[in-house]
Amino acid sequence: MNLLKIILKNMRQRALATTLTTISVALAVALTVAILHIKHGMENRFEQSAIGYEMVVGAKGSPLQLVLNTVFNLDISPGNIPWSLVEKLREDRRVKAAVPFSVGDNYHGFRIIGTTDQFGEAFGYKLAEGRWFNFSEAALRDAFIEANEHAHERIAEERGETPPKPAEHHHEASEAVIGATVAEQTGLRVGQTFIAAHGLEPSPNAEQHTDNPWTIVGILAPTHTAVDRGLYINLDSFYHIEGHEVRDKSKAEAKKEEPKDNDPDPGQVSSVAVKLRSPILALTLYREINDSDNAMAAFPAVEIRKLFSIVGNIDHILLAQAILIGIVAGVAIAVSIYNSMSERRREIAILRALGARRGTIFAVVVLEAVSICAIGAVAGVIGGHIIVFLANAALQRVSGFTVSAFEFQTVELIVVAGCIILGALAGLGPAARAYRTEVAKNLAPTS
Amino acid sequence: MNAILELRGVHKSFREADGNLIEVIRVKQLALGTGEQTALVGQSGSGKSTLLNLIAGILLPDGGEILVNGTNPTQLSEAARDRFRAANIGYVFQSFNLLQGFTALENVLLGQMFAGGTNGGDRAVKLLEIVGLGKRLHHKPRAMSVGEQQRVAIARALVNAPPLVLADEPTGSLDAKNSEAVLELLQQICADNKHTLLLVTHDAAVMKRFDKVIQLEELR
Repeated sequence: MNLLKIILKNMRQRALATTLTTISVALAVALTVAILHIKHGMENRFEQSAIGYEMVVGAKGSPLQLVLNTVFNLDISPGNIPWSLVEKLREDRRVKAAVPFSVGDNYHGFRIIGTTDQFGEAFGYKLAEGRWFNFSEAALRDAFIEANEHAHERIAEERGETPPKPAEHHHEASEAVIGATVAEQTGLRVGQTFIAAHGLEPSPNAEQHTDNPWTIVGILAPTHTAVDRGLYINLDSFYHIEGHEVRDKSKAEAKKEEPKDNDPDPGQVSSVAVKLRSPILALTLYREINDSDNAMAAFPAVEIRKLFSIVGNIDHILLAQAILIGIVAGVAIAVSIYNSMSERRREIAILRALGARRGTIFAVVVLEAVSICAIGAVAGVIGGHIIVFLANAALQRVSGFTVSAFEFQTVELIVVAGCIILGALAGLGPAARAYRTEVAKNLAPTS
Repeated sequence: MNAILELRGVHKSFREADGNLIEVIRVKQLALGTGEQTALVGQSGSGKSTLLNLIAGILLPDGGEILVNGTNPTQLSEAARDRFRAANIGYVFQSFNLLQGFTALENVLLGQMFAGGTNGGDRAVKLLEIVGLGKRLHHKPRAMSVGEQQRVAIARALVNAPPLVLADEPTGSLDAKNSEAVLELLQQICADNKHTLLLVTHDAAVMKRFDKVIQLEELR
């Protein structure tokens, strides 16, 4: 016989109240753990994804949208920028690398991103198997010209004119390197081909680019970033797809425009990720680009911080709710044990008559409340991880990321410790009442 | 005579709701020797239970001296007095006062726990076997008859081999047959182990079983 056994017996005697109050604590802890875990996980994933992307350049609009689209494969592209800007950035002595991206298609909801062979090297992405796709500037220029010719052809047809005969063009193979998550979830392997669907989101009515399949030549090693969820194709092959405009113009504008040969700015891309030779140079380049008429620069790290400062408020509200539930649970424990004291006065008197000290009785009651909170806290931690596990599908849909559900954080220990303190506080009132129990009066026979 | 219990000039008053002090107990002198068995009788409300609570250290006297096995528990701190009670005084109540959520064995072990007992429950089991409950060790009080419950209470009172056993109308809730059996058991175990027994009763049949019967009024 020991104190723990007495505490467990007391809890069992009040099974319903014990169960309900334990569930309240578990609920509060589960919510807290899930919120903290998801918050921490998402911040990590976003920060991890932003590493290496010092600056992104795209069409004028929302800098957050540009960053989400370029770095995290989320949201839609704010527009296109001229290829000449990519070349200008590449020639800029402050720039170490300028990697262009073009987006517009998906495969089963995973984005297809046209880029160059600089992509892996610039950001340090490693291949798990296979090789990088072949890319050449000449092929890209040729793709731009061909896309322009197709545009001329379409305009002529719409005007009822005889379209000029298009020239013969050499196509580089349409090749792709896919992210680790794409490979895992779609089962695509090196050597297999896939067909792109038009648009950034999956849709049953989306146009399928059946005339231009891509062959997978490599699979990226997991990066635990948005890159895992992308299919990266050689940029020139992006423009082989019919309907991929190389210019950001409406059909009406294109109709009015006379096609030009030897256009100095033949194509457009969605955005450019810029790596700088020195961070000191970032601000001057940032200002220069933002002062121009046709482009905007954004710092991913700054935009992500802004995003989390907005989302952080929601986190704080949810956390406050969880803490309130915890406090309500603590009060419920206090009330439940306090009320049971009337029924337990005789038991306490018996224990005292048997030699239990007042301090022992006080400790039994406090430890009972602590035990309820501790059991609730442990159940809540497990529950919180189960919530994270179940929420991962929704998280992936919304953000493209998942959070490891079975990774424990130090903050969870703090939550459990907080619950134990809450339990001790909740037990103080009832314990004081138990402490004051009059032994002789409560030992008397009841008729 | 080696006195296990001595009371000298002990008195206790309670304040009533109207503010008046009413003296409930006054004992000039009382001494009980080792192994002695005494019945203390008195009218209902004469303060018999209060006297037992004073001896057990559950209540403190307003004056006088109480010595149990040579120690004056009233001079100890409350915590020391609780421990002293657990080790030196066995208490049997009229309404058994067993903890309903605990089995017979656990109830007896509780008595041992607060006295700092370390014999792992062997003596508790042995005592329950002696009182005829060897096969009811793991039954809870509500699954037992009143006679069985009082026998559990006796085992609990004796588990620490206390030199002094106090019994407050232990047969008050029992029928004649059970009363006889329980008293026989209590007196026999106390005699065998030389425990001093002070039993409060107002039942003439119970008094007859004791060689020494003290009227509470005689002690004033």
